[in-house]
Amino acid sequence: MTIAQETAASTASAATTRRRSRLDAREGRTALFFLLPSLIGVTLFLVVPIVASLVLSFTNWKLLGKPQFLGFANYVRLFTADPQFWTILRNTLFFTAEYLVLNLVISVGLAVWISSLKMGQRWFRVIFFLPTFTPTIAVAIVWMLIFAPDGLFDTMMRALSWTVPGVLTDQTLAMQAVVVVSLWAGVGYNTVLFNAALDMVPASYLEAARIDGATAWDRFWRIRLPLISPTLFFGTVMTAITSLQVFDQIYVMTRGGPGSATATLGYAVYQKGFQAFQMGYASSIAWVMFALIMALTAMQFWLQRKWVHYDN
Amino acid sequence: MTTRSKAAARRALVLDILNHGALALVALLFLFPFFWMVSNAVRSNAEVLAIPVRLLPSVFEWDNFAKAWTEQPFGRFFFNSFVIATSVTAITVVVSCLSGYAFARLRFPGRDLLLMGYLGTLMVPGIMLIIPLYLIINSLGMVNTFQGVILPVAFGTFGSFLLRQFFLSIPNELEEAARVDGASRLRILVSIIVPLSMPAIGLLSLFTFIAQWNNFLWPLIVMTGAENATLPVGLTLFQTQQSTAWNYIMAGATLSMLPGIILAILLQKLIYNSIALNAGLGGR
Amino acid sequence: MRLSIVLAAAAMAGSSLFAIGAAHAQDQVNLTWQMWGDEKDTALWQSLADLVTAEYPNIKVTPQISGWNDYWTRLPVLASSGQIGDLVAMQSMRMPSFYSLLEPLDAHFASDKFDTSVFESSIIKGLSYDGTQYALPYDVGPWIVFYNHDKFAEAGLADPAMDWTFDDFKAAAEKLTSGDNYGYAVQAFDFIAAPVALGAEYFNDSDQFDLTNAGYEGAVGKYVDLVAKDKASPVFASGTNAATASGRFASGNAAMYIDGPWSLISTKDAVNFKMGVAPLPRGEGASRFITAGSGWGISAASQHKDEAYKALQVLTGPKAAQILASAGRALPGRLAEQTYWYDVAAKDVSSTRETLEYAFEHSTPFRINENWNEFENLITQYMPLALTGEKTTDATLSDIQSQLP
Repeated sequence: MTIAQETAASTASAATTRRRSRLDAREGRTALFFLLPSLIGVTLFLVVPIVASLVLSFTNWKLLGKPQFLGFANYVRLFTADPQFWTILRNTLFFTAEYLVLNLVISVGLAVWISSLKMGQRWFRVIFFLPTFTPTIAVAIVWMLIFAPDGLFDTMMRALSWTVPGVLTDQTLAMQAVVVVSLWAGVGYNTVLFNAALDMVPASYLEAARIDGATAWDRFWRIRLPLISPTLFFGTVMTAITSLQVFDQIYVMTRGGPGSATATLGYAVYQKGFQAFQMGYASSIAWVMFALIMALTAMQFWLQRKWVHYDN
Repeated sequence: MTTRSKAAARRALVLDILNHGALALVALLFLFPFFWMVSNAVRSNAEVLAIPVRLLPSVFEWDNFAKAWTEQPFGRFFFNSFVIATSVTAITVVVSCLSGYAFARLRFPGRDLLLMGYLGTLMVPGIMLIIPLYLIINSLGMVNTFQGVILPVAFGTFGSFLLRQFFLSIPNELEEAARVDGASRLRILVSIIVPLSMPAIGLLSLFTFIAQWNNFLWPLIVMTGAENATLPVGLTLFQTQQSTAWNYIMAGATLSMLPGIILAILLQKLIYNSIALNAGLGGR
Repeated sequence: MRLSIVLAAAAMAGSSLFAIGAAHAQDQVNLTWQMWGDEKDTALWQSLADLVTAEYPNIKVTPQISGWNDYWTRLPVLASSGQIGDLVAMQSMRMPSFYSLLEPLDAHFASDKFDTSVFESSIIKGLSYDGTQYALPYDVGPWIVFYNHDKFAEAGLADPAMDWTFDDFKAAAEKLTSGDNYGYAVQAFDFIAAPVALGAEYFNDSDQFDLTNAGYEGAVGKYVDLVAKDKASPVFASGTNAATASGRFASGNAAMYIDGPWSLISTKDAVNFKMGVAPLPRGEGASRFITAGSGWGISAASQHKDEAYKALQVLTGPKAAQILASAGRALPGRLAEQTYWYDVAAKDVSSTRETLEYAFEHSTPFRINENWNEFENLITQYMPLALTGEKTTDATLSDIQSQLP
């Protein structure tokens, strides 16, 4: 190239770069404008409280009086000196694992069942979805009456001559009661989610498989399940995050009892924070919960590489 | 049709009926707690706890609904819940549309990092934030006000993420044309993108509304008087120092569930369609 | 001349200031009055508030009612955010946790030579802390046994004597248990009030919890066995605790349960049989009963402490006490007005006057410390394990002890 052409070319590209960087700058400013409401809200109402609660967890603030800086003392106390912490941790993980598995199995099962219907699918979806739209407090109160000692459940067991210990007063059964109530309130959402995903599996794939002689069982495991795996993954992650925070049902039905059978991390934060007013200690429990959620989500994202099929 | 295929067709029909019937039975059992709630709402308080338990009350007290309504200011609770839920929904939708669009269409430094941060906040347990949030609200002088309840919960990041996913699926060409014509980004968002995104926006609105309608702990902490309580908080007001009016609680619970139930029935098609659209994009 | 102008100006300014000051003294003062309660009580509290304005026209008291359950959750939150009312309702059992929110009243008493002996002594003590008075009572009551008088008569049982023993109580409970009906319905608080009546202590000498001493374990064990072994009472679950005993009593499925005068009127109205009350059964020694009650104090952060004190005097005065007693809302802390409660509100319940007078004569201080709230919650959470027999009484009590600071 001649010098003139080179100069022209470099001027042109410089101009393009300048134009692009001007465009970027303008886009950057537009982006800021679009993001500003969200950023302000997120900073003020999410980021600042998160930092504040971290700071709180290093103090012994009791809501009345001045806080004292304690360093890691709260965490040390939590992991070594608190007689209930490991029980609470175990309860939380146990509840999450059992609830997650049962929720997925039941909602996938219901989703498949509903999609196998020739009519009335709409109504079944609505029926199973109803509890999701109702306040958890109200749901828990109804179930508490059912499970109360000498209540409906006990009466039915007696009528059937089954000797079952009182559900809310037995240590193992109390947790199961919480799981049952949570399932009743929670499966509807995933059922509709998975049902929608199943309905989007192209019928042609299934037809072709059927012609090739695949059984319904095969068709489910080899085609439908893998194809809805992104949705399954999404549902699993969201369900896991919410189930680790379980609170409303325990507050109404068992108050963490009998003993510490249903005391979970979420309830412990409330108990320590709003009944004993140990705000600093409660914040440290909350951070343990947060760490747990992050670990579990990270684990799920790692597993998705193996199990989730995206059709690109 | 041959005899064999007629028999096969008959068998298929029987199986179909059994299939539907079995699920119907399951659904009926599933609805039992609703029945139990109403059945306890219309009996006297003494009968709720009587032993042995009866499925149906001996005397139907249908006016318990009216009595529960006046025993506590239920009209007020409904109103409070409604104001809070709609305000949060409105703010969430507007803010999420704006930020979702920025994430989907605009390039700026740190975009992906910010998105990851937004996703990360989804994992933060709500209960951890309640104490600091209360202190912030208090320092802004908003305790026991509607703003105090509404603002901290209206800026969740889930909506931004949801709408970003949806906007990404809208083809760029539609906007390119408008851009060439000199339309501003805001104009494009409002006139083109938003109308096309009604399923996703509808879904976001619905779920935000319901989440706020059912929210218990936060309004409990922020609102200090009975006249400002929301429905879930109002339900617990039936437990006094002296006694607990279970039948009124059940009546109140029934009333508090009605809006959710009605919405679920009326909007089930919207819900299904929106979830279907989302299901197609889930996990990406 | 200048000086005189200055002096005149100063005099005018001074007098206008004086006028402003005087005007302020007559200015409207609005006090907020923080209470727990429900809508039914609003009219009653409003009538008390109106009494204040009748006596002091420039003071207006506005009741602010919140739910019972959440009152204690919200109180410290309100205090720390400066939202607390001028007049604050306080329970004697929560005084150690919350006294710092309230204004000491002794100086105010001295200034108008007020004598607190018009009030029942155990509740005056209950609403004080460390020798300082923080609130004046509007109601007081010992824990007593509510019993189904009709069922007692049917079973041929005489009305309980004032000094009946635990064995008498147990015999009655067992006699009245048959089929679907129980003789007794246990609640979490029973394990606090009843063992004290049997002579046990849950504190050591330095007012710290000592639940594993033989006296307390034995006394708790007696009531636990009544439930777990003799099946004379249904078990309660930690979540349902507060409600079911009174509900079962009202439905006629339980013949006795333990409660206080604060619930007497509402329970009486909810049942369709004749009720009676009796003191808690005693052990080997003499009768002794703990009492509790509620009152109102002035918030330490109030801007109108003098007006609040005036309002307080009216709200806990004889007229207010008479209103509350006749309506059955409270057994007044004021001794002279208690008779309105006996003769008007509680007249259909047998033995109220004798029982309560006997209980007040034999009252013992209700010992509490700043961890009382946690103790009560732990009792509610853990006792069901002992009641179903899953854990021994001793093991359950040491579990609770291990979690108390």
